[in-house]
Amino acid sequence: MVSSERRDWTRDVQLINCLHMPLLRKWLQLSITALVSSVSALAEQQPAANAPAPDKPLSAEELKSAVSIDALTVPTPGEFFKAIEKGGKPKWTSEYRPPISIRSTDRAQMALNLGTLIADGYIAVEAQDGQQVKNVGKDVLALAKKLSVSQTVLARSASIAQFAENNAWDQLNEELEATQNEVKKALEENRDTDLITLVSVGGWIRGTEVVTGLVMQNYDAENAKLLRQPAIVTFLKTKLAHLPDRLQKDPLIQKVTRELVDIQKMVSFPADHVPTVDEVKELNTASAKLTKEIGVSE
Amino acid sequence: MNRFVLAVVSSCVFAVHWCIAEPDTDEQVAARSDVIDFAGAFQNDGFKIRDGNYFGKVSKDHSALVAVNLYNGNAYWFTASTAEKSEKLKVSVFDEAGNPVSYEPYQSGTRAAAGFSPETSGLYYVKVASEDGQPATFCLIYSYK
Repeated sequence: MVSSERRDWTRDVQLINCLHMPLLRKWLQLSITALVSSVSALAEQQPAANAPAPDKPLSAEELKSAVSIDALTVPTPGEFFKAIEKGGKPKWTSEYRPPISIRSTDRAQMALNLGTLIADGYIAVEAQDGQQVKNVGKDVLALAKKLSVSQTVLARSASIAQFAENNAWDQLNEELEATQNEVKKALEENRDTDLITLVSVGGWIRGTEVVTGLVMQNYDAENAKLLRQPAIVTFLKTKLAHLPDRLQKDPLIQKVTRELVDIQKMVSFPADHVPTVDEVKELNTASAKLTKEIGVSE
Repeated sequence: MNRFVLAVVSSCVFAVHWCIAEPDTDEQVAARSDVIDFAGAFQNDGFKIRDGNYFGKVSKDHSALVAVNLYNGNAYWFTASTAEKSEKLKVSVFDEAGNPVSYEPYQSGTRAAAGFSPETSGLYYVKVASEDGQPATFCLIYSYK
């Protein structure tokens, strides 16, 4: 009873006050308008306060300090192949090549071939061809034995075979990348650091041969633009130039270095240029020739 | 452009030797573990983490710059993390001439990322900077799809 009386009294008084006091009403209206404006202004300012400051262009000093490392600066063949798949599923099996047999004891040649074989592994994975993955895995293991890094590859090759058996293509991609990195790590532990460069060079050349081959089969401007890679060749050439004298004198290394100069010109075009079919063909011919020369047994 | 490329390449051999020769410190191990955990979020979105990383040191006055070669059509996330809790990291992306490009920023204390989809294949720079604190070790990795 008491509570209902109080409720009625309160409501009536407020109604009376609001309706019959124009000054108070006006003040309330103004206050609400001001409050709404302040809140919306604050809301507009909020994201700006949290947004990062706009970036300034890099200075010459900063560019000079930039580092390039094999593990991040040189894309894996898998990364290159992923890009070309955006335009539709390419015919990966068309890029298979006959098995290579290396009888030479030239460790530089073996390292270059190891790189090309790892790229072959990525092709087999993209083609989702379990048998081919296993075949390439065996070839990688054989070469790894010759380079004394087979223990590392042995453990990986077992899981590669297992993943191939189970059609686990995503895991296979990861295993291939891990294999490549572990081979490089094992070479480093064996004090064969110079050969690491050659594994990267071999992988990139074979990857370029494959991608240009696929672009030629079904020419598309977006795919052709993938071939613009001037900095990678510059990076690889610089690394080759820093190899020790005994490797610099290796006829195959000399050939690779020489031919990379021509290949560099083909992949160094302006950002707004789209390579023509003929230009793609020229790069394909050059990279295929070099892959073949790397694989030839002495 | 050649000047920029040469500038990058001139330091590459030393960088490779530095990365290979130095054993991982506790800070590096912690930073790598955290950045892999962080990048795991992108895996759910179909991104594949590249099996490679770069360790560097950043402070308010000293940022780090890493050269990467990217392909048009691919999408990338560059992620960095530091084990030092006071750090506030920032990751940004620049083109081959050093001009900033449009990217998706992410920043949360000791973790930062930049999402970028290049329209042109070629050389790019990833910058890791710190807004405050003492020199701190960070780990940078990237994912792509």
